[in-house]
Amino acid sequence: MGDVMRDDAPYARRDESGLWEDRFGALGPVKPGRGPRQDPVGEFPTGPAIGERFPDVRVAAHSGDEVDVHADRAGRPMVFAFYRSAVW
Amino acid sequence: MALYTLSYDEADALADFARSHGITYPLLSDPDSEVIEAFGILNTLIDPDDHPWYGIPYPGVYLVDADGVIADKFFESSFMLRPSAEQLLRAALGEQLELPPVERVDGEVAVDVAFDGEMWWPGVVHDLVVRFAVPSGQHLYGEPVPDGMVATTVEVDDQVSLVVQPARLPPTSPHTLGTGETLQIFDGDVTVRVPMTHLGRALVPADDGRTVVRLTGTVRWQSCDDEACHLPRNESFSIEVPAAKHDSPASELEHPEGMDVRVRLGEMVSRRTDRPLGDIMREATAD
Repeated sequence: MGDVMRDDAPYARRDESGLWEDRFGALGPVKPGRGPRQDPVGEFPTGPAIGERFPDVRVAAHSGDEVDVHADRAGRPMVFAFYRSAVW
Repeated sequence: MALYTLSYDEADALADFARSHGITYPLLSDPDSEVIEAFGILNTLIDPDDHPWYGIPYPGVYLVDADGVIADKFFESSFMLRPSAEQLLRAALGEQLELPPVERVDGEVAVDVAFDGEMWWPGVVHDLVVRFAVPSGQHLYGEPVPDGMVATTVEVDDQVSLVVQPARLPPTSPHTLGTGETLQIFDGDVTVRVPMTHLGRALVPADDGRTVVRLTGTVRWQSCDDEACHLPRNESFSIEVPAAKHDSPASELEHPEGMDVRVRLGEMVSRRTDRPLGDIMREATAD
């Protein structure tokens, strides 16, 4: 995959309350194209492909314990979500 | 089924989040974004000096089978959008929607429009489900169709902050007419799914006092048997889905027992940069 195309947010505009409107019509304090609103347009990386083995992940959980995901799921199927942050 | 989530938050912030939300599944901590980078999904549009934003992934969800193989994945170009539990469960376990069967009409196609979800939070992608009960011997058409005929389509009317993704239709098979012309037809009954979400601005009060998103649009189709085609049909729909405006950590501020997101964000910033949070926010929100 080539370089990811940046959404330069030409549509960004402030509404009457001072919030910024993005391409979906969502309002938020951060200007589209800045901070966490720096989004790709078109193709962007989505990691390992369907049909591949989910890579090994060994990291700390919120409990402080290290979790080896494949061992921890103990033969169960799983949902694994990557998300922005729990604090903003 | 096991559930894991991963973000670039520190484990102590995640413990606070888990406590305030009553979460028992593991919230995984990847503060240096090592896992995110190893997966190749680091948002590289964000400059490495742009703290605290640098380190987030392109947001996505993997569905993994019992053998550890990726069975499906759902990625969105904005952190505001995410798949619903209904979408994930359907991908994992097959059809989950428990709807009464479409009432069949003799000799005619019957249509039903429903929403796959009971409560619509902003940014959560659910499917509008359009079901066609097709009489035996008849069939509906997929794109492309020749001039003068109508393919099966679902059109959802625009609304502010309503995000409608391309419709998902079942596969078609080729069907050759007596004239030698080949068309793409659906086999039997047809279910079309249109994934969509709202971002908080499409809410209206319903007659019963609930807050809803009112979805309107038009379903088009044409049915034929081997001898003749019926006239093209279209049917408008209007359905109300109970919905909510907020789904963000900021809403925690309203709960005294909730996580103090200002404190936690302040901690995240101070671990990553010497710049004050106020300066960072002014820059992110300025013209």
